[in-house]
Amino acid sequence: MDMKRSYFEDVRLFGSAAQVVWFLVLLAALFLFPFLAGPYYVYVVSYAAINVLVALGLNLLVGYTGQISLGHAGFFGIGAYATVLLMNKAALPLLLALLVASLIAAFFGFLLGLPALRLEGPYLAIATLGFGLTIEIIFEKWKFFGGSTGPPVPDFPIHFSSGLSMDQNIYFLVIPLTLAGTIAARNLVRSRVGRAFVAVRDSDIAASCMGVSLMYYKTLAFAVSAFFTGLAGGLFAFHLGQIDPTTFNLMLSIIFLAMVVVGGVASILGSVMGAVLLSVLNLKLKGLQLADFAAIPVIGQGVADFLGAFFMETGMANIRFIVYGLIMVLIMIVEPLGLYGFWIRTKIYWKTWPF
Amino acid sequence: MDSLLGLIQVFVGGFTVGSAYSLIALAMVIIYKTSEVLNFAQGDMAMAATFFAFSLLAVLGLPFYAALPAALLFAVLIGLAAEFLFLRRAKEPNLLGLIIITLGLEMIIFGLASWKWGADPKDLPFPVSPWDTIQIGGLIISYLELLTVATAAVVAAGLFLFFRYSKLGVAMKATQLNRNVARLMGIRTRRILLSAWGLSAGIGALAGLLIAPGGTVDPYMMWDPMMKGFASAVLGGMTSLPGAALGGCIMGVVENLFGFYVSTEFKSVVPFAIIVIVLCLKPSGLLARHYIRKV
Amino acid sequence: MAARKRFLSLALTGVLVLLAGLAQAEVPLGVTDTEIHIAQWGPQTGPAAPWGAVARGTGVFFEMINAEGGINGRKIVYHMFDDQYNPANTKAGVKELQEKEPGIFAWASGVGTSPGLAAKDYLMENGVPWVGPAAASLHWITPPQKYLFAVYPLYFDEAQVLVRYLVEKKGMKKLAVLYASDDYGKNGLEGVHKEMDRLKMKTIIEVPVGRADRDLKSHVMKLKESGAEAVLMWVNPTHAVIALKTAAAMKYAPQWVSSSTLSDAPLMMHISGGLWKNVIFTNFIELPESQSALMKKYKAAFDKYAQKGERFGVFFLAGFGFVEPMVEGLKRTPKDAFTRDNFVKAMESIKDFKGIMGKISFGPGKRQGQREVFVAQTDETGMKVKQLSEWMAPD
Repeated sequence: MDMKRSYFEDVRLFGSAAQVVWFLVLLAALFLFPFLAGPYYVYVVSYAAINVLVALGLNLLVGYTGQISLGHAGFFGIGAYATVLLMNKAALPLLLALLVASLIAAFFGFLLGLPALRLEGPYLAIATLGFGLTIEIIFEKWKFFGGSTGPPVPDFPIHFSSGLSMDQNIYFLVIPLTLAGTIAARNLVRSRVGRAFVAVRDSDIAASCMGVSLMYYKTLAFAVSAFFTGLAGGLFAFHLGQIDPTTFNLMLSIIFLAMVVVGGVASILGSVMGAVLLSVLNLKLKGLQLADFAAIPVIGQGVADFLGAFFMETGMANIRFIVYGLIMVLIMIVEPLGLYGFWIRTKIYWKTWPF
Repeated sequence: MDSLLGLIQVFVGGFTVGSAYSLIALAMVIIYKTSEVLNFAQGDMAMAATFFAFSLLAVLGLPFYAALPAALLFAVLIGLAAEFLFLRRAKEPNLLGLIIITLGLEMIIFGLASWKWGADPKDLPFPVSPWDTIQIGGLIISYLELLTVATAAVVAAGLFLFFRYSKLGVAMKATQLNRNVARLMGIRTRRILLSAWGLSAGIGALAGLLIAPGGTVDPYMMWDPMMKGFASAVLGGMTSLPGAALGGCIMGVVENLFGFYVSTEFKSVVPFAIIVIVLCLKPSGLLARHYIRKV
Repeated sequence: MAARKRFLSLALTGVLVLLAGLAQAEVPLGVTDTEIHIAQWGPQTGPAAPWGAVARGTGVFFEMINAEGGINGRKIVYHMFDDQYNPANTKAGVKELQEKEPGIFAWASGVGTSPGLAAKDYLMENGVPWVGPAAASLHWITPPQKYLFAVYPLYFDEAQVLVRYLVEKKGMKKLAVLYASDDYGKNGLEGVHKEMDRLKMKTIIEVPVGRADRDLKSHVMKLKESGAEAVLMWVNPTHAVIALKTAAAMKYAPQWVSSSTLSDAPLMMHISGGLWKNVIFTNFIELPESQSALMKKYKAAFDKYAQKGERFGVFFLAGFGFVEPMVEGLKRTPKDAFTRDNFVKAMESIKDFKGIMGKISFGPGKRQGQREVFVAQTDETGMKVKQLSEWMAPD
């Protein structure tokens, strides 16, 4: 946005004192939030934060490195299962289990990155799709993973303070990790590695001519992306309290990709926005009824009647798919840069107001 | 049952199922050949057309010779609408963007179809019965299976001739090779793209209508066949029509052989294993020329 | 400037640390002088959507109860949401309804083992009763939970009854099993094994079916080749239909046998294109065509309150049957001391309660309410069902 006058300005974390203050305000708000809002909202915010982690990871791969992945639910699942199994079978403490699980996911990311070196565009998409589906099947079939109801998830072991509820305890683990992840992603993007990623995206042949090792950076992108997603998966296991293979399906991979694209490819803020929007939508659209349509002024009753006559009333909840699909399609048509693009446009517009 | 006969029976069964996969693969390849897009909405477009046919046949009681063209027309219209309203309007038609649009379309179509017709599985009244059979030697083949194979063969042959010898077909190939040059040569690429999508959706609908009578009509009916059709296209080569047809048949046969002789539980792993092997060894597929990217 | 910033941050931190000691409130009770709030999740969309009828059935049941005067002067306020059979959605929805005033007193039924497991820990921790999960899983009662009352007879028990009937009453010897490779199918398979072991027999062949499979040719070929007299099915309706159609095309006609999941005979007849003839299956609930007084009453309620397009089928009625014991328990809870613990005591006092399901009994430490099923069979036309046996429990 603003012109950068030196290398330091380009890479530093906070652009100005004002940004630092706002950041502190954000920290305070995040800290106070669970005490002021009801437990359900704490749950929602934790859920959104976990999705933010995934979106960050996926954006690093898709937005910054220009690869495609339709199988990120696989890494999410690997993180979840690995964390739970490490705690159950190897009796690791939670934080260590999360770390090891994320590294395991990163390792699988690296493995998936290897064929990515040879595959282009649609073929890479197919390969990642196959990966995601294979992981889902392995979780379901291999007895080691607890079969179709999944392994039992241990109780969340960290208690920050005696008066806190389970939701708040989880919140206080998820939020700092998400913040750390966001800052790490932002730093990564502005560092040498990030620039290498972008070079690979823009033209991999030119990049390799310039000395950017394709093999190193592509596999690194996959591994880092998988690390973030695996970490999110481990947190998710505790957030939900239960994991089973059907959760980590193709639809989940698609939704992750949608979060990234809707929020804005190649944009950290975009990932956050996209993840928050889609998480909240997911939870809000569940209970929609015809009566809600009728509440729209003027045309409401007509809309409700039409819908009632043409569609089956019992299938009302399908509107969730329609809304998701519409958002995905409209974003690509109207603003390919996603929500971040809208944000930038708004900023530019207001920059010269009122002139 | 004598085991040679058993083997042949499994083979034949796999071949007939594979014909349905071939149809889906052909539909996907048509789109890929003209617009280089992976059409994830393929399955659900076919599903919506099948539901539409169901409404015409079971609810309105129309005879089949009226319902079939209507359902195909419906599918073609969906395909045209998809291209005209959505894909064309994409501001930045890179691969990711187009995939997102087809995924979004898939969700919209799925949501609408599921909302309109509900989730209870239904039975499609079909003039060719899925359980009347003919016997050749000890082999049992149902009329529906024969119809499926015949349809796939006719469609595959027709498409092959169409792309090679007809004006529109050659124009489609030209559009895929280099869209700008095609336009310079006077080809109306927009119409070509529209026709490709319409044609593809129609073929997909045929596949749906042939799969439905042997099972149930429900919103998820095409997810599994679509994945397999997709894998068949990868196997045969995303830019090769004969490859798609061949890939479908191979997929059906291998899958059924595996299911019968090895394990039914892991039968669904076969398509993905095939994808992995193909992508490792020959990513462009069996019959397609190797993809060479110009710098 | 720097000093002021430091002071501010210290002050902020201090305030925050103080606030950290705040205690957490309990979940709201969900009861007022005139209302009792009951909720249920259900797959209104998604692959399990046909079972969404259960939640809607409970809604009609409650409307009927309210029209009769409610529970000792209180009306039931019913909340229902769509979780798409996705455990993450189930848990989120349960929390949302439970924690927003006025809260939920107790949860009724709810389809799915995985969704139920996601909600179970939360509900049990907060002491919220849950009656009649619409999934027959051993997870509900191993170990028994104070606040969880299971009604649905276990697939495990059902399988034993079915096998016993086939062997003893029908004299069958060669049994094959076609089962879904998930908990449901595997529970059924274990039940079959237990009974076969007791009878000192073995199954001829056991064929698993993957969740998303649409092509069952190899499965049916294996069954045909085994020469089985009867095929016991523990699969979902779509797979059953595909199996029957494929078998018809292969000219293979064993005695088809099924668990109660496929007991909605008109639906099965309809979607199988007329193949659902002479199929033997177990039922955990009276047939919709039954002429008992209670069924007639429920039919009248259906006519009056059900949504357009709803069908008076087994799943819909299950929404009544799973919740009948809950209503009985609510009625027995003392009106002026309407607490959750008193409700639990009232539930435990239920012995041999009979609604439209089998006999239901609870007790201290006893949380599996119904264990009996009966065997029925569709007739030649597939449209009528005749009851073949009395209500039976496995032991």
